[in-house]
Amino acid sequence: MMHDDDKFNEWLRQTAKGYHTPRPTPHDEMWQRIEAERARRAARRVVELRPWLRWTLAAAAVLILGIGVGRWTARQETGAGGGRPVATNDTAGQDLLYQIAATQYLSRTEAFLTGFRSDLRTGRADARFTGQARDLLTTTRLLLDSPAADDPRLGALLEDLELVLVQISQLAAGRDTHDADLITQGMDQRNVLPNLRSAIPAGPVPVRTEGVL
Amino acid sequence: MDERDLINRVRAGDGVAERALYDAHVDRVYRLAYRLAGDDALAQDFTQETFIRAFERLGTFRGDSALATWLHAITTTVVLNGLRKVKRFRGREADLEAADGVSGARREAEPDLKARLTRAIDALPQGYRTVFVMHDIEGYTHEEIGVALGVETGTSKAQLSRARAKLRESLADFAGEWVS
Repeated sequence: MMHDDDKFNEWLRQTAKGYHTPRPTPHDEMWQRIEAERARRAARRVVELRPWLRWTLAAAAVLILGIGVGRWTARQETGAGGGRPVATNDTAGQDLLYQIAATQYLSRTEAFLTGFRSDLRTGRADARFTGQARDLLTTTRLLLDSPAADDPRLGALLEDLELVLVQISQLAAGRDTHDADLITQGMDQRNVLPNLRSAIPAGPVPVRTEGVL
Repeated sequence: MDERDLINRVRAGDGVAERALYDAHVDRVYRLAYRLAGDDALAQDFTQETFIRAFERLGTFRGDSALATWLHAITTTVVLNGLRKVKRFRGREADLEAADGVSGARREAEPDLKARLTRAIDALPQGYRTVFVMHDIEGYTHEEIGVALGVETGTSKAQLSRARAKLRESLADFAGEWVS
């Protein structure tokens, strides 16, 4: 004679067959998507090397900028001092270099974020923003690792910008506008744009270094 | 074709062998994914991810267990991790709703046995539900479940027993169905 537990278990097995009953397996449909996804990932593995290349290029750009600024400063001081030997102060030179680099970067980022918000409002924000965000992100991270980030205010601002740029760079082309709205809400909550604008020194961005970074 | 030959051909990059391996196992992988996810789009996503990972990692497959067992281990990992993400994303609303159904508060409003059973299974703790679905619905052995979930066979048996007990409690209203 069947025990009560056994009866229940048998009844349960039979009744539960209807739990989340699968439809026929879509063999071909899934196979096509698997092949497409594998190809996409294989391509991405190649592309993933590019950030390293961008880092290298950005580092090289900073180096070139430093040399350029150093020479320019030396010429200015030589001209002003009538052939007086140039005083070499490494720390001061480095600070100037990072200040110029940071100002350049902040100006570009402000223009980018302002454009992003504006285009978002009019529904014209598109995939080109993700590429620009990635480029700015590279510079942000370089600056975060540089003495420029020693300044607590600028360091905090750079961290906020890094977060915003990461989010924008990850926006999919056919994204839900909700994601983009969340980014702008986050920017507003952290006062990113006002902080960014107040961090940019008054006056024109140094012309000689424009576009280097 | 022998499974070992098939694996070797896949490792060598043979596209036809990849499709053959997929065809041999996809039904069971998809069924398990569907049973656990309860959603066709999610089940398809999980199945695809399972095979993508399987093809990537086939080089590490040592043949200690059957290929199907190895594949089902990947499936359960993909599905359970995927469901955790979905659950986090959707918040706790679904949990609260399911728990409400199991508590018995809505028994009178929901007399349908099938719906009640579905809600009761959905409300099981994830470990219990996984073992119950694999064993009682999809017919996996405790040994297969142990390998797939990385637990001892005894743990699988204990979780199944607890899952059944919880379901019996949740479905007490329908006792007449199995007593008769």
